[in-house]
Amino acid sequence: MSSIVSPFDFKEQFRFWPRHNEALYRRLESKHAWLEERHRTPEDLAPDPLENEMVLNIGPQHPATHGVLRCAVKLDGETIEKCVLDIGYLHRGIEKLAEAKTYQEFMPYTDRMDYLSPYSNNVAWCLAVEKLAGIEVPERAQWIRMMMCELARISAHLLWLGVGLMDAGAVSVFLWCFEHREDIYNIFDHVTGARLTVSHSRIGGLASDVTDEHLAMIAAFLDKFENSIAGWEKLLNRNRIWIDRNEGIGVLTAEEVVELGMTGPNLRGSGVAYDIRRFEPYLKYEEVDFNIPIRTEGDSLARYFVRMDEMKESARIIRQCLDRIPRVYGPIRNDDAKKAYPSKNEVYYSMEGMIHDFLYTDTGVCPPKGVWCYHAIEAPKGELGFYLESDGTGNPWRVRINAPSFTNLQGLEYMMEGAMMGDMVILIGTIDPVMGEADK
Amino acid sequence: MPDSTSRPPQHETLKFHFTPVDPPRPGADLSNPHAKKTTYVPEVVEALRERFGDAVEEVTLYANEHTVRVDKARLVEIARFLREEQGFTYFVDCGGIDRFTDEDRYEVFYNLVNIDAGKRIRLKVRVDEDDMTVPSLTGVWRAANWNERECYDMFGIRFEGHPDLRRMYMPEDFEYHPLRKEFPLLGIPGSLPLPPQTPEGELTRDPFPAAHGAKPPKSYEEPPSEFTEE
Repeated sequence: MSSIVSPFDFKEQFRFWPRHNEALYRRLESKHAWLEERHRTPEDLAPDPLENEMVLNIGPQHPATHGVLRCAVKLDGETIEKCVLDIGYLHRGIEKLAEAKTYQEFMPYTDRMDYLSPYSNNVAWCLAVEKLAGIEVPERAQWIRMMMCELARISAHLLWLGVGLMDAGAVSVFLWCFEHREDIYNIFDHVTGARLTVSHSRIGGLASDVTDEHLAMIAAFLDKFENSIAGWEKLLNRNRIWIDRNEGIGVLTAEEVVELGMTGPNLRGSGVAYDIRRFEPYLKYEEVDFNIPIRTEGDSLARYFVRMDEMKESARIIRQCLDRIPRVYGPIRNDDAKKAYPSKNEVYYSMEGMIHDFLYTDTGVCPPKGVWCYHAIEAPKGELGFYLESDGTGNPWRVRINAPSFTNLQGLEYMMEGAMMGDMVILIGTIDPVMGEADK
Repeated sequence: MPDSTSRPPQHETLKFHFTPVDPPRPGADLSNPHAKKTTYVPEVVEALRERFGDAVEEVTLYANEHTVRVDKARLVEIARFLREEQGFTYFVDCGGIDRFTDEDRYEVFYNLVNIDAGKRIRLKVRVDEDDMTVPSLTGVWRAANWNERECYDMFGIRFEGHPDLRRMYMPEDFEYHPLRKEFPLLGIPGSLPLPPQTPEGELTRDPFPAAHGAKPPKSYEEPPSEFTEE
């Protein structure tokens, strides 16, 4: 009883593992068949470590991979010759799970996809279902949804900023960012009743209304945040180390990002003007005044500037919402009990309300049979879309999640090739993947 | 609060140049409260019909969204036409659908976007169970690579001409395709060995033992109790 490592042979038990790795490494080799030709003679094969290629596995449990991302890289000295990503360590099969849930039941699962901005995911899901079933959302709910989505964007970008800077060696910004994220969590806590997995949006509206205290909290947060971000920009925009680490790293041209299908700030950092908020406006984005930051350099520094500007634009949008929400009176949920949950007052004090509540929990909304639709929103990471197909029952027939992190990671493979090993953490940070979303 | 004495910003943010399609194209049905103007593209559908004739099998419109179902054999040709002549350069998404019918059981859809003109269209192809192949679109849009791999992983549809058709999420020799309708939600016991729950324990063969009538493995040692049954 000396070792806690069990004596059985893992290779025998995990029979998939060797084959899985073999396929991965074969992929790593395939593009570089010329390497074998270069090392044809025995002298070439002499084990000089500086001459040989090295295969290095980074992750899945590596702090710089922001989750469980595994990169198998082939190195030539310090240059990455080829990179193959292995994802799926967090695969929970939520597309499969969705088929066994009603539309409303599945909503809390979306919190667990991009757990840095759960509010956006809830809203994306609810909007997709509302489009499929043709459910109208009251105006007040739309304004509140928009405001909270922008708060979620700030929260997600703050995490990217803090963690990205920590990867580059600056620890204090991480603490400053998390101080502000804590404020946002407190706001979410007061508005929705939960800090991380908010689950506040409902099909046809919202779970609860915001009060004047909530709006005052958000206004106070914005004052503090705008002051802080001005300070961070003074620190970072002309910071020699930060610029040296980011400038010219991971350069993608406008053609390349479109070809790789990247979304969000990664796309706009390369000069492609594609933002769902303008491309096909949802909620009330047509009625607020804001800019979409675009930069053309396409390197990590450009993406840094895009995200910083986006946070400031989000603050602008929230200010306009704060201005508008007190003047938009009305319900926060659709009044039709076949399309949205009845209010709790109705449920507790009337028989019909209770019946409707039961029915809605049991079956929920039933979209027409044999129809499908796709609805996308601009989540902090990019285009988050849900493709839904209905068979006329309360459960979706097929749910397809177009996750921005997944599409962005595909571009990471391409970006890594030719980069330096030391820039790897910067590249992963600049892509800003969330594995919970990429792995579905 | 921005400091009024500070200098103008060093890094100028560029203006967002985008021409929205305004007003909507004639004939658009915006009765759905969430309908978008971009998804109604009759001119593209017409161009496809004119060019490919019978290969366009069905055109559907729901919630102001156009879906064009095309012939599988001419998919690559149609995709190339959409990309090169209609400007759909941006590949958004693709995925499979299990219709669970006798004929043409599977479907694969492709969401495409024309960024400059503000258009969005969806292509669909049907796949029969006897011939589970679809021509790969990786030659047209590079972005299709991972999406097709995922579709292969989840449905077992093989994409012909794909440069790297490995599974996306599941391990290489997992024998099933989870998003097919006949795959049980609780998984198939024994199909995937999971790590042991205790340092010296056996591998877990069933992720949901309780659902299959077995005692779930404990990740901790239960303290001895005098009430423990023999």
